Amino acid sequence: MNRITIIPTGDEILDGTVRDLDSPMVLSELLRLWPQACAVRAAPAADSLPAILAALEAAQAEGTDLAILIGGSGGGHRFSPTLGKDFSHSAMDVFLQTGSAREIYGKNGHLWCRLVCGLRDSMLLINLPGPYVEAQAAITAFLAAIQSTADPSALVDAMAEAVFAQYPCGSAEPL
Amino acid sequence: MEQSFILAAADKSILKIAGVQVRGLNTRELEERLSRRLHTLVRVIGVTGEKIEMDVYGIDPEQVRRDRDGVLRALSLTEGVTASDLCQMSVSEKIVEVDIRDVPDRPYEGCGKERWMRF
Repeated sequence: MNRITIIPTGDEILDGTVRDLDSPMVLSELLRLWPQACAVRAAPAADSLPAILAALEAAQAEGTDLAILIGGSGGGHRFSPTLGKDFSHSAMDVFLQTGSAREIYGKNGHLWCRLVCGLRDSMLLINLPGPYVEAQAAITAFLAAIQSTADPSALVDAMAEAVFAQYPCGSAEPL
Repeated sequence: MEQSFILAAADKSILKIAGVQVRGLNTRELEERLSRRLHTLVRVIGVTGEKIEMDVYGIDPEQVRRDRDGVLRALSLTEGVTASDLCQMSVSEKIVEVDIRDVPDRPYEGCGKERWMRF
């Protein structure tokens, strides 16, 4: 990977209500594997479909090989009216030409996390959950997996397994 | 897009703190402080300038309610949050398990309530 773009999302990150702890951690992990890469953190994208899409399109226009979208991986406002509006899923679905997704549901039927890995032209796009521990688990698993495969399905499997392992529950039950 | 689905059989409750001032919140520090205090896993899932919402896994909600002072103390020690005497804490009951047939088997779209009504 020669050019990597990290795109944090969320109004609370954009306006400084919450410190962006994920981007520096992700950058550090990326540079461990690709020390030669030009890795940039884009300005945070607001919680809106056009804003996230614009950030993804800008990353591609700049020649990004790997884009990493952080945050908005859960069901958000679709399941709880007091949670923020998350559009990462819909933006990735619109943006990507091919890809694989893994959805982790809680036993209450709510979407807890959706992880995606896919391609638009030659740009690889993945997303990470916002909670620091889950983001760290996912990026670590991704970086371990990509050393042996470029298959989006295998990459997202590794990430989903790592995020699932952060929940205090038994073994995964594929539906 | 190729998709598959995983079910996580974990118990959790929602802990909400309202009436606080939040600016530059260190979510990781807050999760660590509350996890140590409650002896369980805590995840920050939603933050505004006045409110913090968290998932608390595998613990009786009553235990959290009983330790209100400890929770608020942990909160007030965290970088980026100012708690006042007026802040309010609420904890939901544990999540209710639904029939596995109600968990979507296709990409999720739209409003959750509409999904339960099977529109």
